[in-house]
Amino acid sequence: MPKCTINGKEVEVKEGATIIEAMYGKSGNWPQGKVAHYCWHPALSIAGACRLCMVKIEGNPKLQIACNTTVTEGMKINNTSPEVEDAAKWGLDFHLINHPLDCPICDQAGECGLQDQYMEFGKYNPEMAERKVKKHKVVDLGPTVVLDSERCILCSRCVRFTEEVSKTNELGIFNRGDRSEIGTFDGKPLDNKYSLNTVDICPVGALTSKDFRFRQRVWYLKDSDTVCNGCSTGCNIKTYFNKEGLFRVKPVYNQEVNGYWMCDEGRDIYKFVNRENRWQKAMKHSSSGWEEMAPGAAAKEAAFAIKSAGANAALVLTGQYTVEEYESIVSSFVKDVKSKNIFHWMNMPEKAEEFDGLLLRGDKNPNTKGLLGVLKKHGITTKWSDLTAGIASGNFKTVVVAGPEIQVQFPDLKEKIKELSKAPNLIWMQAGMNSDLENLSGNVWLIPMKSYIEKDGTFVNHAGLAQTFRKVTTVVSEALTLTEAGSLLTGQMISIKPEINVMVEADRLADRVTLENRKKNEFVFRRGTL
Amino acid sequence: MESKLLSEFYHLDDFRTLAGYQKQGGYQVMKKALAMQPQAIIDEVKASGLRGRGGAGFPTGMKWGFLPKNNEPRYLLCNADEGEPGTFKDRLMMERAPHQLIEGMVISGHAISSQKGYIYVRGEYHYPISVLEKALKEAYDAGLLGKNILGTGITFDLDIYAGAGAYICGEETGMISSLEGFKGQPKLKPPFPAVKGYLHKPTIVNNVETLAAVVPIIKDGAAAYRKYGTEKSPGTKLFSLSGNIVRPGNYEVPLAYPLKDLIFKEGGGMKPGRKLKAVIPGGSSAPVLTAEEAEKTTMDYENLTAVGSMLGSGAVIVIDDSQCMVDMLGVLTHFYHHESCGQCTPCREGTGWLNKVVHSILDGRGRLQDIELLLKVADNMKGRTICALSDAAALPVISFVSKFRDEFEYFVREGHSKVKGVRHAEMHH
Repeated sequence: MPKCTINGKEVEVKEGATIIEAMYGKSGNWPQGKVAHYCWHPALSIAGACRLCMVKIEGNPKLQIACNTTVTEGMKINNTSPEVEDAAKWGLDFHLINHPLDCPICDQAGECGLQDQYMEFGKYNPEMAERKVKKHKVVDLGPTVVLDSERCILCSRCVRFTEEVSKTNELGIFNRGDRSEIGTFDGKPLDNKYSLNTVDICPVGALTSKDFRFRQRVWYLKDSDTVCNGCSTGCNIKTYFNKEGLFRVKPVYNQEVNGYWMCDEGRDIYKFVNRENRWQKAMKHSSSGWEEMAPGAAAKEAAFAIKSAGANAALVLTGQYTVEEYESIVSSFVKDVKSKNIFHWMNMPEKAEEFDGLLLRGDKNPNTKGLLGVLKKHGITTKWSDLTAGIASGNFKTVVVAGPEIQVQFPDLKEKIKELSKAPNLIWMQAGMNSDLENLSGNVWLIPMKSYIEKDGTFVNHAGLAQTFRKVTTVVSEALTLTEAGSLLTGQMISIKPEINVMVEADRLADRVTLENRKKNEFVFRRGTL
Repeated sequence: MESKLLSEFYHLDDFRTLAGYQKQGGYQVMKKALAMQPQAIIDEVKASGLRGRGGAGFPTGMKWGFLPKNNEPRYLLCNADEGEPGTFKDRLMMERAPHQLIEGMVISGHAISSQKGYIYVRGEYHYPISVLEKALKEAYDAGLLGKNILGTGITFDLDIYAGAGAYICGEETGMISSLEGFKGQPKLKPPFPAVKGYLHKPTIVNNVETLAAVVPIIKDGAAAYRKYGTEKSPGTKLFSLSGNIVRPGNYEVPLAYPLKDLIFKEGGGMKPGRKLKAVIPGGSSAPVLTAEEAEKTTMDYENLTAVGSMLGSGAVIVIDDSQCMVDMLGVLTHFYHHESCGQCTPCREGTGWLNKVVHSILDGRGRLQDIELLLKVADNMKGRTICALSDAAALPVISFVSKFRDEFEYFVREGHSKVKGVRHAEMHH
């Protein structure tokens, strides 16, 4: 463990660490002062191309780049001297002389590495008076990403990502000098399961996501961290939302789970959460046809169907809910309904060969392990065939289903609906709309559920790691959590706290108050979505 | 004193053939060297004080000493990507004496225990490549290359690789990238090629002239070689004399030879009625010298460094009073802008910026602050990048602007050159 002095402070660093790693700190909080940088990324190889992270090392006549210099015992490093600051200033100016500065129409504005670092390290008196280099704009790189070469600062992070992380090698730098441009080979677009990470690591607005492009200014979005429910990996994510709904999802660093990355599949999940894809009312089908109901009332009513079935009631659970919800509904089913007919709907079992070596796993449920744990705790060892047989023999009078949140991950959904709807009474709880369910006949209750971003809870991932997350926001205030629905269905009386149906972050009530005040002020934006 | 250690027989047309080369004692030194211990050759080269002739002037023996002491395969690369504007000595050496290079490479390969060498030749050098190829075949046929050379059990294979016309591939790690089949871009150092080079194996990259100079060093010993030149710059060197001069060409003289003599004796002096204005002493990257500086200096590493320039590749570009320095700088900035690989930001953007500013001045759109701006931009490009191309682009700018500031100011003020009748070169953008 070599000791070195950084800006006058003695620091002990890991053997073989570079200066920038030593300064980055454990969680990227730059405890010894920030170093300007573009091309360096903690999870990618060293390019040493942006030449911004210059530091002064005592005894070395030339400034050195912090990203490719290994700390040695007794090294004295400084990055606050006027010489170093000047190098960063000019380094930034070199980045900017051919940059179009089209921030007003650039999607990256507000979270742009050029803007942020220029504010912190910039020269503030640009001297470039020549014409800028013209390059290609709106280059279609593939199904997910669009490139603007003029904005690109050629840090090569995206190129290195496709080389080293996704290992698909689609991107390269073509031409040379200030005519260099990122590009793909003809006929081989940027099309891999992790392609949108290139947008995340792009420090400028060169790579933009086709999905998010021109949809929101980032300063109109709030964000909150949660856990992805796309598969059993359980990537840590940040969701970006406002009153209009969710707009995008980005990965959050967690070395134990997903590192810095997440898959493109996971980024699409936010769409089903939005209001237009959700059930907002409960629905009940009986001999008199369909009727809409309040979710709580529907659950209370359906409780009679369960009570009358008693031990002949069956509960079907998918791996898409939180541990707390499973615990609550399973225990009340066992205790109050006195039925141990609880079944695990396994849509995609975990298979080693389906793991792609990075993040994507075969099991597309976030909490299969959690569900199995709860079932084991309650001594439930049922087989799916028991359920089929029970329904066929007319043994199971009432079937309660905690349906999937991400319906596209359930290829057997249609088939299962058909199978389960043979039961005399069917109570189906689910967040997203489904036309097959809405076309059923017989005694059916459809109860809207809260999605994963609307509740606190815990997911246990494939490795058995329990990740607890907080509620992000409320999208459909009427919907119930599985805990609430379970309590009502098993005949307990609970009061459900009314929620405000506005998509603001749960913890930021203060913001909401100021927002109300600002709305009264006629000088605030009339357009926009705050 | 006869000082032609390398080019003594270059005037003989058959010197490029094996028979002609052997007639003058060719490959005798190789025989001697293959009987020596590798370390003995390295020691001899170290003792000779031979410095790299490609431009940087790094001591060759010391470079060889950086190789790790292990059994990994290692490569000897000959840098014949002679791209520095003004330099044409390697071309002559390959055209007139290909076997000299091959002999030098076999000796050097034996010294560093390498069994495989490549000659990376500049792509535009079609004729030198054809001569080299012929020579290579002759050498293989005569058992002077390949397995079990002359029955000594020593193996050394040699191949020629033609570049694709990039100045940056003359930088040793850029050359390695290119040879590996990648885009010719310099690699981050450390690790240095001697530790991790071609195909991630220890690699030595030497210039054509350096490798050829190993032959006379082994032939007569380090002491004989040291008779030429100075303590820090021993030996002889080929200088490529070009520009406004009566007899341009390659001249082999001992190091520390007076620049004045090189121009006025070897080069035949200035054209009638012309006066010496400036000299670029070491290829286009070397800071320019004024006539007064040029008349005093000698051509060796330490003296040229002392006057703020460098020996570089030994390309002496003579500029007389009919040339406009702004125009000349325009040619140079255009070149570096065209050749920057684009990897490091200061060089990628800076070379373009310098070029645009100089051409704005040339187009009559210059501002007085542009002169100061050129210095500032160049100053901030210097020493901030992976390889030396950024410095190479910045140094001429700094020296041109600071030493011939009056010409720049005149151009900005008047919108045309101070030198009468000069129309600037049209550059393709």
